[in-house]
Amino acid sequence: MRQDEADGELVLRALGGDEEAFAGLVARHRGRGIRFAMAMLGDASDAEEALQDAFVRAYRGLKGCREPDRFGAWFLRILVNRCRTRGARRRVGAMFVRDEAAMERAAAPRGEDPEWREEIERALARLDPMQREAFLLKHVEGMEYEEMARLTGARIPALKMRVKRACDHLKVLLREVDDVRVP
Amino acid sequence: MSESHDDPLIARVAGELRRPVPLSPDFDARVMAAVRRAPPRLPVRVWAWVREPRTVAVSPLGGLAMAAGVAALVLVGAWGSRPSAISHRPSAVRAAGTAPSVTFVFLAPQASSVALAGDFDGWDAARLPMRREGPGLWTVDVPLAPGRYQYAFVVDGRRFVPDPSAPRASGEDFGTPTSVVTVGGAARVAGGSL
Repeated sequence: MRQDEADGELVLRALGGDEEAFAGLVARHRGRGIRFAMAMLGDASDAEEALQDAFVRAYRGLKGCREPDRFGAWFLRILVNRCRTRGARRRVGAMFVRDEAAMERAAAPRGEDPEWREEIERALARLDPMQREAFLLKHVEGMEYEEMARLTGARIPALKMRVKRACDHLKVLLREVDDVRVP
Repeated sequence: MSESHDDPLIARVAGELRRPVPLSPDFDARVMAAVRRAPPRLPVRVWAWVREPRTVAVSPLGGLAMAAGVAALVLVGAWGSRPSAISHRPSAVRAAGTAPSVTFVFLAPQASSVALAGDFDGWDAARLPMRREGPGLWTVDVPLAPGRYQYAFVVDGRRFVPDPSAPRASGEDFGTPTSVVTVGGAARVAGGSL
């Protein structure tokens, strides 16, 4: 895969049966995907499985990618749905499962303050899943509400409300921790 | 409604969550193994099938019920303001009532409409519109009796595009290069690959 090869070209090559082209799409979109899935599901194994499942579904449904140049947005929609399904199946929200092996694997690049990261993950886990999803799409993925509405199928006022409530809740959960941590 | 865009705490949370999250070293390999196990859907099967060059052999007997042949053609070229792959691969001949039907496939992701025009329809770009079957994939079935035909693709109703992988017509009936497809006998037209 050439670095400058557009997603649309890779999609078309993959449709022609070129597995290397699809591998190029995996390499290009896995980073954002695992970041979102990890924040949604809170467990590295679950996140990887959701991401793998999303890639396989994307491959099988590649014909449905009507705008190949926007493969990333199309793929994120699939991933959001996989995370919803997986999250609902294991009743996300009560608490996140700690995967020690995954945590160890993830320790080095996870920033300089693992305790702060843990507090954030704990707070995220206490959010309503729809609020968590909206918060991540808006504040972490940097999406506009119009794009979020297309991706989630929710109306913009509802998305704004979810984001606001997520922020309010996170502030309550994290403010005290932050006050202690930051003099 | 406040969206907390400017709240420094929310900004710090978002910044932390934007940090890269590592994947298992074998993640890509596992995904591709799962992809290979996944049954490919129609477009992949179609593409895998049309990629194979094959012989066109139409029997005039037996009610022309035997399928026979493929013309494979690939076009990769510039399109509009940016280059994009355009590919025409070819032409399955299958059983039909009176004449074999040749399926033309054309890949033009930027096009809003594509039609097939040739000497078999009087170069009328309105008679054989191609159907969009997938992202940028256009097809049309044309019953063609055994013979030699000139054709071109008409993109967005105005641009005639020949197929560089197919033989070029010696005469240019339409003031622009056209391609040739032969149906019948033991004709063989092979194309390249994407």
